[in-house]
Amino acid sequence: MRPILLKGHERSITVVKFNYDGDLLFTASKDHVPSMWRSEDGERIGTFNGHKGTIWDLDVCRFSRRLVTASADASAKLWDCETGECLKTFVHHGPVRGAAWADGSNMFATISDPFVEHNAQISVYDVPENDDPSTYPDTPRLEIELPKNANGKRVNATNIVWLNLNEALFVTFDNGAIRLYDPQTGEELDEFYPHEKKINRVSFNLDKTLFITSSADFTAKLYDVVDLNHLKTYKTDRPVNDAVISETKDHILLGGGQEAMSVTTTSGKVGKFETRFFHLVYEEEFGTVKGHFGPINALAINPNGRCYASGAEDGYIRLHYFDKSYLDMKDPVPEELEEGEEDFEEEKQIVSDDESD
Amino acid sequence: MASIEEESASLDGYFSDTPLEPRPSYPPLLSTFERSIILTNLPKVPSSKHEKLSKVVLKLVSRIGNIATYEDEDSPTGFYLPIDEANDATVGCAFVEYETETDAKKALEVLQDYKFDKNHVLKVTLYERASSLANVTEEEFTMPEPEPYKERANTMAWLEDSCQRDQFAIRHGNDTGVYWCDGKGDPVLDYGGEREKKAGINWCDYYIQWSPKGSYFATLVPNKGVILWGGKDFEKLGRFPAPGVDFVTFSPQENYILTNNNNRNDPQAIKVFSIRTGKLLRAFPLYPKDFLDDKLPEAERQNIPPPAFQWSHDDKYLARMGKDLISIFETPKMSLLDKRSLACDGINEFQFSPKANIIAYWAPEHKNSPAHVDLIELPSRKSLRQKNLFNVTKCSMVWQEDGEYLGVKVTRHTKSKKTLYNNLELFRVNEPGIPVEMLDIKDAVMAFQWEPTGSRFAILHAENPTSTKVNVSFYDMFRTSSEPAKKGKKKAENAIVAEVNKVETLEGKQCNCIFWSPAGRTIILASLGDSASGTLEFYDVENKTLTIKEHYRANQVLWDPSGRTVATTVSQPIGGGHFKFAMDNGYILWTFQGKQLSQPRSFETFYQFQWRPREKLSSKEEIAEISKNIKKYEKQFNAFDEAKKRKLRLEETREKRKSRAAFRSTLARLKEWRARQKQERKALLNGYDSEDESNYVIHEVVMETVLSSKEELITTA
Repeated sequence: MRPILLKGHERSITVVKFNYDGDLLFTASKDHVPSMWRSEDGERIGTFNGHKGTIWDLDVCRFSRRLVTASADASAKLWDCETGECLKTFVHHGPVRGAAWADGSNMFATISDPFVEHNAQISVYDVPENDDPSTYPDTPRLEIELPKNANGKRVNATNIVWLNLNEALFVTFDNGAIRLYDPQTGEELDEFYPHEKKINRVSFNLDKTLFITSSADFTAKLYDVVDLNHLKTYKTDRPVNDAVISETKDHILLGGGQEAMSVTTTSGKVGKFETRFFHLVYEEEFGTVKGHFGPINALAINPNGRCYASGAEDGYIRLHYFDKSYLDMKDPVPEELEEGEEDFEEEKQIVSDDESD
Repeated sequence: MASIEEESASLDGYFSDTPLEPRPSYPPLLSTFERSIILTNLPKVPSSKHEKLSKVVLKLVSRIGNIATYEDEDSPTGFYLPIDEANDATVGCAFVEYETETDAKKALEVLQDYKFDKNHVLKVTLYERASSLANVTEEEFTMPEPEPYKERANTMAWLEDSCQRDQFAIRHGNDTGVYWCDGKGDPVLDYGGEREKKAGINWCDYYIQWSPKGSYFATLVPNKGVILWGGKDFEKLGRFPAPGVDFVTFSPQENYILTNNNNRNDPQAIKVFSIRTGKLLRAFPLYPKDFLDDKLPEAERQNIPPPAFQWSHDDKYLARMGKDLISIFETPKMSLLDKRSLACDGINEFQFSPKANIIAYWAPEHKNSPAHVDLIELPSRKSLRQKNLFNVTKCSMVWQEDGEYLGVKVTRHTKSKKTLYNNLELFRVNEPGIPVEMLDIKDAVMAFQWEPTGSRFAILHAENPTSTKVNVSFYDMFRTSSEPAKKGKKKAENAIVAEVNKVETLEGKQCNCIFWSPAGRTIILASLGDSASGTLEFYDVENKTLTIKEHYRANQVLWDPSGRTVATTVSQPIGGGHFKFAMDNGYILWTFQGKQLSQPRSFETFYQFQWRPREKLSSKEEIAEISKNIKKYEKQFNAFDEAKKRKLRLEETREKRKSRAAFRSTLARLKEWRARQKQERKALLNGYDSEDESNYVIHEVVMETVLSSKEELITTA
């Protein structure tokens, strides 16, 4: 599995994302210029020029027509994917951390960090696809202020996602919390704490029925969207920066590694900058892919399951096409009962009967 | 009458009702006898010898503390040796009064059972106790009820494990756990302080320590003392109060425990307890008397480490080095052996033999006498062997585990004292006369280790002690030489000659420590410490196979008692400031061949890893017998392993099957939920159905690329 090295960014990669169809790969880094690549061969199709700060997040709409980017230059921009033209700039009060399209791609939401006297806030913008971009209002349709914590500590949001059918806005925080907001009224619907430390990223499966949170507490956790039930935990020995759910296999990909700030004090081989593969159900790590020499900041797996991309602090994006041996891999537990397994079950029962006597 | 009045008038002013100032000070009247003791069992001597005996006894009791002396008396008055006038002899007892009560109590402890001479062992009684005893009539005595028999926990329980597994204990974070290790798979928790957790406390907050045979598990409670645990369920077996305890040492036979709180100002810094009775046998200050030279500046004195106590192999003696002497205490009374220390002029270090009551010590050059290494037999104090050495800078002595050999690494200097060089002095302790062989090594020797239960040893040497590439050499105390074939015998006979010879040298190794397997034969060359690479080289000395592995930042290599498994750890001291690295603290288990047994276990904080020691119960012959029939056992064990492995796998599969079924039902529920929203989603996408595969049109495009073309002229002949 020789990866395609996508050379185009000059600084740490912050996000990599496939579009819905999996033919395009969108990437952003701290070098201000998001890029679009053909996922088949890793050729760069183009760049989106205009931001003056780190791009923290981006999201492409369902039909890959428009792209929204969130930048540390306190703006979000709306782009035409085909021409690379900036359709509109939405000015915020602070650095924009996340941006997400709503289902239907006629509105998007952003989260911005607190800045001087401004609190962190969620903004929802209406950008109907059939309207002329010049008619889009400059101000958001809805603003949700995120005040400081009761103890005066500022809590920063890290990710934003629309839940199915736009019924809730799903926001993750750097204190390990997840909150749900009503996108119509701005009311807080729910709050829970999957982690004790920062949630670096959250990602959903294509159906948006499962999500996985990646945290600085060395774990990633799988939840279902309907009941927000905790299903599985994937443990590592390093902070997890991103985790994705494979669409075609019962696998989870985890990326992370020693924090960038302490990397210089340790030798490269102990940074654990590998992509780790876990079994979705059994929570067992069964493989790693090495290559990066900085912590992996972003992961994305193609919805068709044939390749995945990883972007790291080292500024490289590696696009890996899976080998046949991986694609042919079967679940370690066969569907049929193994010979003797039933006997064993009986045996076990006898034993437990004895114990109860 | 008039005269009286006149008299009183003339005396007016001399007497007054007001008290005198200042009041005369009277010594407080003693109303009790708490400072007094009675010595009994003294020899009964004729009154002519009374004075002499008085002197001796007075000298003895004065060693404890000052004898009470009243004003205007030159000689102590608090001492009385009565004479029986009728027999014209002493009664055999003495009354002593000290200046303080503490001295009286000290006398009670120290002089109790003191061997006054061959036939007289002193008994000390507090005066008050004696006087109260005097009033006891015989009828009052009732036989004390014997305590009901309480079965002690079977401290060998873990050895009865059906899988013959070894155990180890770890300390990390607030947790302490004892695990089983079968040398094949992941360790399994045996006991992790669940009972204590239920009670809301940690099993251990400080260090842990196994006893030398693994019977006891000691947990240190810093401000209280030591608790011992043992038996199948790790129940509490004993508590030993020792405030500030910093570390403990068990005696090799597990009869005694020694606690140390490392407090220079505590006269009872070191305490020795009997494990069975829980009784404090004796306490010592951290440094023996006169050990620290008063003339040295304080800062320098602070840097001198306290001399450590050492137990003899059979628990009979406890010894500590003092100034020019070794104090040897005899258990269980903890009194000086033969009432005097072993004089060793200029002693620098001593070591007990691990298998016999032999002390080896060395002393540097002193005045006109050369440096020397001495072997002294106990209790006879006979010098078994003395070896004089010249130009010695430092010696270090290493006993072989069976006590058969003693190796002394001697660092010498040239006459100019500018350059240092090494040699080894090798004592064959079990041979008559204890022959010593000298082995010259030009290089600096960084480490020296005997192969446990073998005749080989390994040294780590390099020309320059600071160089990163070092050499490892193996030597054998015996040489196999082939004698020339004699008449009548066709084959050359292999004779074994007691002669040190080099087996081989591995050159250019990157390591700073060596660790023999307890089973011998395998040795690990490790590069340990923060700045080192953590390289581990597993070397089989007989097959000469080498496996190289790595555990980055490892600082310890720990063999299990069987020599099957070895652990490497990254650990930090408790309370040693902040953790330099918050990650990778933990341990890795390897087989003796260097195969990694399990994924590294890491913890936020990792303090200790200790294998549970156990006794070697099989004799050498039995072990040889087993290795002869290894094929038979191999089959047996393999079958057992296979069955166990299969059982484990099936169990695991079953669990997985269960969790897969549960997960699948969750997924089905989610899918159903999503299916219900299909129409609404379609509406959001303007009627486009994402799940309708017919929306995708697959075009097949055939592209032809000309890679290269070449024109060639073909000539037809």
